[in-house]
Amino acid sequence: MRIFENANINFIGNRKLWYLISGTVFLTAVLGIAIRGLQYGVDFKGGQEFVVQFQKTANVTKVRDVLTKSLKSQPEVKQYGSKTMLLIRTEAKGTQTDVEDNINNTLKQSFPDNQANIVNSYIVGPRFADTLKRGALYSCITAVFVIFIYVWLRFRNWEYSTGAVVALVHDVTITLGLFTILDHHLPFSMDLDESLIAALLTIFGYSINDTVVVFDRIRENLHLFKTEPLDEIMNKSVNQTLSRTIITSGTTLFVVLVLFIFGGEVLKDLSFALLIGIVVGTYSSIFIASAIALDLQNWRASTYGKTKKAKASVR
Amino acid sequence: MKGNGVKIGFTIAFLAIAIYYLQFSVRYWLLEKHVNSLSGNTKTEYVKQNQKEISNLRDRILNLGLDLQGGMHVTLQLDTPRLLIDLAREGGKDTLLTNTVNKAETIADKNNTDFIDEFVNLFEAKDPNARLSRYYRSEADNITRRSTNAEVAAYLKKQRDSAVQRAIQIIRTRIDRFGVNEPNIVKQGHNRIAVELPGVQDDQRVRNLLKGTARLEFHLCAEPAELQSSLKQIITYFNKQDSSAANDTVAARNNPLLKVFVPQGQSVIFGSATAQDSAKVDSLLGLSAVRTMLPRNVELMWTAKPSFTSKDGNKYYNLIGVRDQVELTGDVIEEARPEFDRYTNAPEVSMTMDREGARKWSRLTGANINKPIAIVLDGLVYTYPRVITKINDGRSSITGLSSTQEAEDLVNILMSGALPAPLQIVEQRTVGPSLGEASIHSGFNSTIMGLLIVAIFMILYYHKGGSIADLALMFNILFILGIMAAFKATLTLPGIAGIVLTIGMAVDANVLIFERIREELNAGKSMRAAIDSGYANAMSAIIDSNITTFLTGAILYSFGSGPIKGFAVTLMAGIVSSLFTAIIITRIVVDYLTRDKVTAVSFG
Repeated sequence: MRIFENANINFIGNRKLWYLISGTVFLTAVLGIAIRGLQYGVDFKGGQEFVVQFQKTANVTKVRDVLTKSLKSQPEVKQYGSKTMLLIRTEAKGTQTDVEDNINNTLKQSFPDNQANIVNSYIVGPRFADTLKRGALYSCITAVFVIFIYVWLRFRNWEYSTGAVVALVHDVTITLGLFTILDHHLPFSMDLDESLIAALLTIFGYSINDTVVVFDRIRENLHLFKTEPLDEIMNKSVNQTLSRTIITSGTTLFVVLVLFIFGGEVLKDLSFALLIGIVVGTYSSIFIASAIALDLQNWRASTYGKTKKAKASVR
Repeated sequence: MKGNGVKIGFTIAFLAIAIYYLQFSVRYWLLEKHVNSLSGNTKTEYVKQNQKEISNLRDRILNLGLDLQGGMHVTLQLDTPRLLIDLAREGGKDTLLTNTVNKAETIADKNNTDFIDEFVNLFEAKDPNARLSRYYRSEADNITRRSTNAEVAAYLKKQRDSAVQRAIQIIRTRIDRFGVNEPNIVKQGHNRIAVELPGVQDDQRVRNLLKGTARLEFHLCAEPAELQSSLKQIITYFNKQDSSAANDTVAARNNPLLKVFVPQGQSVIFGSATAQDSAKVDSLLGLSAVRTMLPRNVELMWTAKPSFTSKDGNKYYNLIGVRDQVELTGDVIEEARPEFDRYTNAPEVSMTMDREGARKWSRLTGANINKPIAIVLDGLVYTYPRVITKINDGRSSITGLSSTQEAEDLVNILMSGALPAPLQIVEQRTVGPSLGEASIHSGFNSTIMGLLIVAIFMILYYHKGGSIADLALMFNILFILGIMAAFKATLTLPGIAGIVLTIGMAVDANVLIFERIREELNAGKSMRAAIDSGYANAMSAIIDSNITTFLTGAILYSFGSGPIKGFAVTLMAGIVSSLFTAIIITRIVVDYLTRDKVTAVSFG
């Protein structure tokens, strides 16, 4: 069995089309983030989050109503995995003990025949939340920077670095945008929290992995076919690595899908982000990264008055 | 084929190391299962007999994160501004200092800069000629009147470091007395302490245990007559605040203070309020115009326990007038014991003072017969008993405790020593044990399922080559767990996700190699030559792509917290071990299989 053996698809030639598709999706994601704003979780916003286990099915609306009264602010209440578990998130004022006791007592009084127990709690002070948020931001920026430098060192060519990093930003923005737009519309938490940052950085690593394999092939082919124009070499390289890209993405996608379905409630958002990221990351490695590197080289060639189209400038 | 001896040697060595580190976990798991099958006395007896082996093993097993075994994670922050004020001479009374400290705190929070640097900058901005050394002196650190501000700043940073270190020690003592297996207490940044307590569920009790500064103070109380007259003044003041008030009765209804405060004025009790309203009362009474109406050198402090419950079920706390002079501190306490009151059987803590303390105590009680003395812990009045006779033996006790447990915890806090500055809880995570167990199950199941899917696919797609890659995959998982056990890393739930992800990506190196071999075969090379150049040509792609992924893992590790670090560790361990298994181990097997005839292996 073989897939994409001797594939010869015109990836590079049709790059205007891919730019259009990517640009549209990217802009939608940016617009979504701009309009809705990033939906921060407790980690980055500060607040208190509790998982409550009921004996029987719990009525979400009713729980929200009684807690709104007793906490004097409306908490976020939603099902957590099973029908007997609820996730309660609040920014109510007062010390941690007060809020926890308040929720405990209110639920016990309001639902005497359906015992409720707090099984998980997560409390973050607003200042600490800022620290975590800053850490997350720094780590993303550092990751982009480090990857740019590494690719530049290995390929001695800033166009490739830029192509790789543009693809990265493309993948992460689209994933983030999708999460922002879909938050509260899917039955699991899609807030921007630490585990989503972990997923985003993993997508960084994953997407760059695919891209580097293609670049590596381009580098090799540049030495083998010295007379061919760069766009043909690039297209050939993408096609040659296509089956590997698809197989690796496929196996990874499969295991992440298993994790998403069977991995339990806590890992739902992390695995969902990975699912999206792997699909988008694979797409960008095939369609976007090399195309951008090519166009940047062409641009440089035309700007600096070289008559020939850009040639093997990669070592 | 040449040089495979070295490769085999490495493989066997790594395998041995991985197995060595993992066997502890397996033995511990078996032992735990055996212990759980026993019951009652035999169980306690068995655990006692094998205590040494159990704790030996426990030190070396693969640690499970709190999200998998249940427990509590708390991040504490040292109150550095308070420390700076306490360190300064007459610090609390100097408004220039307190204002600068407060402002510096806000700025440091906003810009995420070092609080002490901001403090020094701000101080210099206010008066370029002023010297911080007028507040801070230390013979030991050579800080004199002539020291420059930079020297003082360095001294303050040193003090902060040592305060955090002391706080860590004290917390460790408290937790050990509380009885937690394997607590993990580490410093984080300049002024934070991360505490991990596996298996602990009673979060409220632990919170109080960690937060209590254990500043025990003995104060004389205010004169009741003085207190009463200033109470009257203050109420009148707030009545006048409402200009719309036509007469006194309307004013009383609109009096902002009386809305949240029940005035008392009997003996040393100033008044009462509920816990929710106490902050409001504090801010009203803290107005500078109001403060001048209080008797000189008197401070108002809340009681630790409610004194009565109103008809609608609200609990009221008393506000007590005490002299601000501290007569005795907790330093003189030599021993503290939980006890019961002889008559009421209520829990209390009885304390014995050292010789110096006993002498002062005797003088203090002798001079104040028939007057109340307030015993204040962390700014809350626990009791204010009336002195009946002069006490010569240095004994005193804290009453007004709600349970024996509280008495025990208080003894624990008192005996562990006082924290150098208050600690605030900035983050807390509690995971119930049942949820942890469910997480292990779902994590484990999805790992196995993911593994099977990938393994079957590889065999179908790459035939014999695929089964070799699968073999490498098994080694890979063994290595990952071995690396984690050896480096004492902690397996968290996101960590399991990391392993699952690694399984997906681990085959990547083999996919790269096998695809390459297929290409070389298509190009007309012989099997042997195709294998050789397949491995050789795929290498640079494998190395580059894995290094970039490893770098993001390292970044994640350095910035992330708790569970996310666990994810990063498994990701990095996974990359290292999958590189090794996919490149070295598969090569050994492929070479071995093709030693006689090359057709013994196929790549689909």
